[in-house]
Amino acid sequence: MRILVCVKQVCDSADTLSVNNAGAWVEHAPKSVFRINRFDEYAIEEGLRITERHSGSVLDIVSIGPQRVQAGIRRALGMGAHHGIHILKGEDTYVTPLERAFLISEAARSRHYDLVLTGVMAEDDMEGQVGGLTAAMLAYACATNVIYEETVPDRGEITVEREIEGGSRECITLKLPAVLTIQSGINIPRYPVLSHMLKSRTAALEQISAGMLGPSRPGQVIEKISPSPPAGIGELIEGSPYEKAEKLLEILHRHSLV
Amino acid sequence: MNRTVYVAALHEKGHFMQETFETISFAQELDKGKIVLLVLADEESVTTLSRQLFLETGLDTIGLKGNFLKGYSAEAYIKTLSSFFRDKEPACVCIPHTSQGADFAPQLSVALQACCITAVEAVGNGAFTRTMFGGKFKVEIRPTKQASVLTVLPGTWNPCSHGNIVQGELTITDVPDESVSTRTHGIRESSHKNAALSDSEVVVSAGRGVGKQENIRILRDLCSLFPKSALGSTRAVCDLGWLDYTHQIGVTGNKVSPRLYIACGISGAAQHVAGMKDSRLIIAVNTDIDASIFRVAHYGVVEDLARFIPLLIEAYIKRNRE
Ligand SMILES: Cc1cc2nc3c(=O)[nH]c(=O)nc-3n(C[C@H](O)[C@H](O)[C@H](O)COP(=O)(O)OP(=O)(O)OC[C@H]3O[C@@H](n4cnc5c(N)ncnc54)[C@H](O)[C@@H]3O)c2cc1C
Repeated sequence: MRILVCVKQVCDSADTLSVNNAGAWVEHAPKSVFRINRFDEYAIEEGLRITERHSGSVLDIVSIGPQRVQAGIRRALGMGAHHGIHILKGEDTYVTPLERAFLISEAARSRHYDLVLTGVMAEDDMEGQVGGLTAAMLAYACATNVIYEETVPDRGEITVEREIEGGSRECITLKLPAVLTIQSGINIPRYPVLSHMLKSRTAALEQISAGMLGPSRPGQVIEKISPSPPAGIGELIEGSPYEKAEKLLEILHRHSLV
Repeated sequence: MNRTVYVAALHEKGHFMQETFETISFAQELDKGKIVLLVLADEESVTTLSRQLFLETGLDTIGLKGNFLKGYSAEAYIKTLSSFFRDKEPACVCIPHTSQGADFAPQLSVALQACCITAVEAVGNGAFTRTMFGGKFKVEIRPTKQASVLTVLPGTWNPCSHGNIVQGELTITDVPDESVSTRTHGIRESSHKNAALSDSEVVVSAGRGVGKQENIRILRDLCSLFPKSALGSTRAVCDLGWLDYTHQIGVTGNKVSPRLYIACGISGAAQHVAGMKDSRLIIAVNTDIDASIFRVAHYGVVEDLARFIPLLIEAYIKRNRE
């Protein structure tokens, strides 16, 4: 099996974000910490499990962004991925799902992957589109919110369970090649192994500049981004911690709950 | 030019989902012109379903009939809709943001060379508003393509009111047979349903902000102060293995509407809020004053839960002694 896992690097906490000067995207405070989108960690782990089940498999990682996203790629290599592809794209602008999917599909097209995996969504823009868009661009089959998979490479098929409302599962069989978006909880992602981590530090990553893959067609623009309005209907309880506890008990008492 | 706005009317087990009617309201608010509802179904149910929707809304309804449309698959839906739209120029295709709608919308947008905006919460001035970064930022997105595929966040619009004036017409069209390679094997019911949780009067709920598994005990202690209470959690807490999935509350977990819901260390993601927003009284404890959960809570406490909850328990015990 040839597998590609798409990994996005996100800011660890939205606390360090603010609207940028142009009012068109966010910028992060200098102290911001970046990490792999948590949903993508489940995709990496599932990819690794498939490669372990089918000998001779390879697992590549692709990530789009500035130089710093290489840390995420290296962490994935530390978990056991074989090869990293970095699509270099400038910092601090909104890259639409359409642009991301275009870049991934162009980088993937000639490599003939059997499976492309992503997380169900990115924790930052939360659009949940890159998997579906990439599938359509590559003319691959696609299933989202995958919570269980069983590959049958000999038959060129994969059977999956998609998680739907209430936690029920829809069972389907797809023809390979396919794109799966992986739901959290499908596995427990492993930690990087020290020996892999050491190797990955010096491993050569393949770097492609986004411009090389074709002109950018965003499909949509951000007109305005602003912090969500503060607390709506509610009331913040003020005071020292102990006073807050007392006031809260008073409220519960008023509602006949204590 | 007035172009048509289409709504994909999603249904399940012979019924339209509530979200379908909400999406029709959304389409009406777009105010772009004609609205056409599309019902995709097999021969057996297409007429009944389409007629039912037509009578309920009075809007133009087209039933797309295909034998491969028995049950849902993204592939069948995309093939059907792509061939339907081949000779049309839709302004928008509006789809409920459910596990089905969010599944096929992006793929459909590529087929239609449209842009795709998911989980839309508001419209205005040609732009669509959605939230990002866990609800902390509101973003207005403007399409730069002719057509847009939009998924509509459940629970944001009221279901459309019954149309008492019939303005439209009802048509049933055959979809040419497509070869669909996806095989569907039906639905497996959730094994995480928890009647004790959905029936309880007080739910104390744990989020990632609990910090470590040992701290779950603090919330258990709080829970035990109330009769008919149960411990709930976010998906994150189950994914971490701190509690099993029978505790999960949200769109892919249990739905609860207790008299009191205490959210501890929960950011308030839309998928979690969908499972608890009908609670009578919502109290949130979170260190981050900007957390989205404070937008649904009736009372908020900005504190570290590991210190505050023990204090609350202590104050309760003291109060009861007095
Ligand atoms: C298709 C799909 C379905 C999903 N279904 C569900 C679902 O059914 N249910 C669900 O819950 N999620 C669901 N999710 C996941 C959801 O999007 C969120 O990722 C999840 O709800 C976040 O959980 P959380 O609030 O515990 O964690 P986080 O978002 O990480 O929030 C942790 C919060 O704790 C606060 N905090 C940190 N330390 C402390 C402290 N010491 N004291 C107090 N507060 C503290 C932080 O400020 C933060 O607000 C789904 C996602 C997808 C894509």
